[in-house]
Amino acid sequence: MKNRLAVGIIVVLFGLNLPAFAQDTTLTVRAIEGLKYDVPRFVVRPGTRVNLTLDNYDDMAHNLVVTLPNSRLRVVNTSLTLGDQAVKLNYVPRTPDVVAHTVVVEPGKSDKISFLLTQEGIYAYVCTLPGHGFVMYGAIYVTKKPASVPTLDKDPNVAANRKDDAAGHAGHQPDHPYVLTYPAIYRTFMPDSGPASIAVGLTPRQAYCWDAGACRLRYAWTGGFIDQTDHWDGNGKKPTHVIGDVYFRDQGGFPIRFGTADRLPEVHFKGYKLINRYPEFRYTVNGIEVREMIKPLPTGRGLIRQFTLGSVAGPVYFRCKSGDGVKYRPSVGKMQDGMVRLPVGTRTFTITMTAE
Amino acid sequence: MKTIPTIVMGTGIQRIKRILTGFFYLFLSVQSAQASVAPAAFPSRSFPADTITDYYEVETIRMPKGLTAETDGLAIMPDGRIVAGFHRGEIMLYNPKTKTWKLFAEGIHDPLGILAISNSEILVMQRPELTRIKDTNGDGVADEYLTVTDDFGLSGNYHEFAFGPIKDKKGNLYIALNCASNGAGIFPEVRGKLDTLGRPGRMYSAVPYRGWIMKLTPDGKLHPYASGFRSPNSIGFDANGNMYAADNQGDWLGTSKLYHVEEGKHYGHPASLLWKDGFPHVTPSKLPVKMLDSIRTVESVAFPHSRIADSPTQPVLDNTGGKFGPFAGKMLVGEMNHPYLVRLMLETVDGQIQGACAPFLVGSGLHKGNNRLAFASDGSLWIGQTDHGWAGDRGIQHVRWKGKVPLDLADMKLTPTGFALTFTQPLSADQVKQLTNFQFKRYYYEYHEAYGSKQFDVQPVAVTNAVLSPDGRTVTLKLAELKAGYIYELELGNLRSTTQQHLMNHLVCYTLNRLIKDRKM
Repeated sequence: MKNRLAVGIIVVLFGLNLPAFAQDTTLTVRAIEGLKYDVPRFVVRPGTRVNLTLDNYDDMAHNLVVTLPNSRLRVVNTSLTLGDQAVKLNYVPRTPDVVAHTVVVEPGKSDKISFLLTQEGIYAYVCTLPGHGFVMYGAIYVTKKPASVPTLDKDPNVAANRKDDAAGHAGHQPDHPYVLTYPAIYRTFMPDSGPASIAVGLTPRQAYCWDAGACRLRYAWTGGFIDQTDHWDGNGKKPTHVIGDVYFRDQGGFPIRFGTADRLPEVHFKGYKLINRYPEFRYTVNGIEVREMIKPLPTGRGLIRQFTLGSVAGPVYFRCKSGDGVKYRPSVGKMQDGMVRLPVGTRTFTITMTAE
Repeated sequence: MKTIPTIVMGTGIQRIKRILTGFFYLFLSVQSAQASVAPAAFPSRSFPADTITDYYEVETIRMPKGLTAETDGLAIMPDGRIVAGFHRGEIMLYNPKTKTWKLFAEGIHDPLGILAISNSEILVMQRPELTRIKDTNGDGVADEYLTVTDDFGLSGNYHEFAFGPIKDKKGNLYIALNCASNGAGIFPEVRGKLDTLGRPGRMYSAVPYRGWIMKLTPDGKLHPYASGFRSPNSIGFDANGNMYAADNQGDWLGTSKLYHVEEGKHYGHPASLLWKDGFPHVTPSKLPVKMLDSIRTVESVAFPHSRIADSPTQPVLDNTGGKFGPFAGKMLVGEMNHPYLVRLMLETVDGQIQGACAPFLVGSGLHKGNNRLAFASDGSLWIGQTDHGWAGDRGIQHVRWKGKVPLDLADMKLTPTGFALTFTQPLSADQVKQLTNFQFKRYYYEYHEAYGSKQFDVQPVAVTNAVLSPDGRTVTLKLAELKAGYIYELELGNLRSTTQQHLMNHLVCYTLNRLIKDRKM
């Protein structure tokens, strides 16, 4: 995101620092995820020849059509009436409103065009593939007075989805049609965890990440919950961000062992039940049902994990090796070499984890 | 809408014109230039300018404030409430009687499919799992989220969407798993077995069963059912229990398609073959195209790109028994990039299902992004819309049939020498006699790795004869040539019904995979 904006700003600045006389301008516009051009707009002097490359970084085809001032929507609407000629014409209607256009550029490909802009005015560049033209466009200011160009967030000629980027994500739109209540749960793509993860905000400032693929707690943090703006944007390529400081990061793998301390069991995620909004995870470990409920320490940084086990024959171990940011305190059993051996027949126990 | 006043004004002005003389001539000539368009477009003087809005009504549902209404999934509960899942994880209930929204569940990762079990329980296909979500204490809010199955791979690639579930009459559930996209990589940790031979390609399958449709039997086991899908959004059954999957134009798909899905078959996108039992352990897309072509089952319907659909979505059966108009028993498919739905006219020819597709509800006020479709018990259609970073719209619309039958093509069937077109109303014979009212061309899309395909071997096909049935509803067309392996695109002219209605839609495309075999042979 930052890189894209940087390109936009450089182009705009370049436009603002125009040479005294017009000359050729060469630039690359990328088609990017979310029906966007990475360059939201650019400024040139009258008489400039623009050598423009459309580079398609998106996962669908796009074109770029330069249109005369005040004609973008007319061109877009006409492009929708091309019928069976559309593909042959690259979705570009043959009208005098079109200054120049690329071919349809497939993902990963590019196309170059060159055009002369002699008259002052606010031109547009737009993708005329069906459905794209109403959201995917930018502006070319052809002017002798670059200072007269409005700021990006106030520019009516720039696509709304680019103004959002310029203004930053935070604070504009609510996340949901309700205020988030804690504990809060999101299934989302969490960093440093498996792809089937669960983010749980215990309070607005205490949270943890539980991996539903591996059936285990992965890390915990304080200071905030998560920011999903990037993940929610577009097609969801980017992961969710953790807000705050991670104080615990599991290093030891799945903690429960049956029979012997060193053999990793087979686990299956069975879901969760909400109890006063706290999720109680259910999973099987070598076929034995386990429930796990995680609550915050009443004071300080840390978690209390309550486990309920099905009937187990033989010894049960819980791995709680130091070095992952917390001190472990089991409710029962003895700790030895980073392993708690639970008394035979234990069905419930808690592990208290306090940040070091 | 503007055509009606224009016609009235035009005839009115022309009447005045006969009475008035030179003094007003200059003024009138300007007016009549504008009015003269109308008689050309509507040769019949008394012909009413009916539009789709005379027959169907589209209501845009007011969405809750603060909701980003990317509608992922949508279903109807037994009590008639609409249950909809949205991109940011909300599952919400809409009561059509009170027009109010209520939150049912939260925190779901892309709930792209919902199946209502009862008024308090739903199945939700989210990215990581098929989940049973239930309100167990009767407070109207879900408190139980139990895994029905997660026995499939997940690489963390954004394009690994999951679709379905749909349920067959035996109680089996089916889900469809999207391939990953080279628009992004995979997570350092994946769920399921990672096979790097599955990484090459535009759309790839590096963890098990991406690109497959899976069958979940009542014993809770998930079985690979059919392979060869790229982006199967989504799946549905017809009246006879045949399953269909829509797939999207892209690599290995010259245009978007609808497959008739049968157990064990492969439908053409090679990435999924990596997970096929007994298949050579190689990167499947590197195998010779000819070999890949030979093992695939072709589509029942091809949706010509940009003509019919760019991104087809859920196939749904019109099971309303006529409450939704004259197309009962047939199927509809949603479409993302155009503000309409697609209507299907399927038939079995030489043992295989094939048939025609046509735009539906064009000009009705329907938005784009028509991702999920569900018929309510009153015969109305609920449509969930999304864009998800692609072309589309957001929200929910509700379509009702107003009770009058439009003139439209109801069915298209192959004959040994051409096609039989059956209409919803008896046709006026005059226009049927004009063979120029039936303009055919044919073409095909190539099966290859590149993204999409141009149309190959585009040829006009002459209609040599048109015969109207005694009841006026069926036109039997004889074509100069019929060739298997081609799409037959038909542009209908200005046909009229004897009730003086005009044709709602002029375009229909028939996927001719098989010819009718001569019974004497």
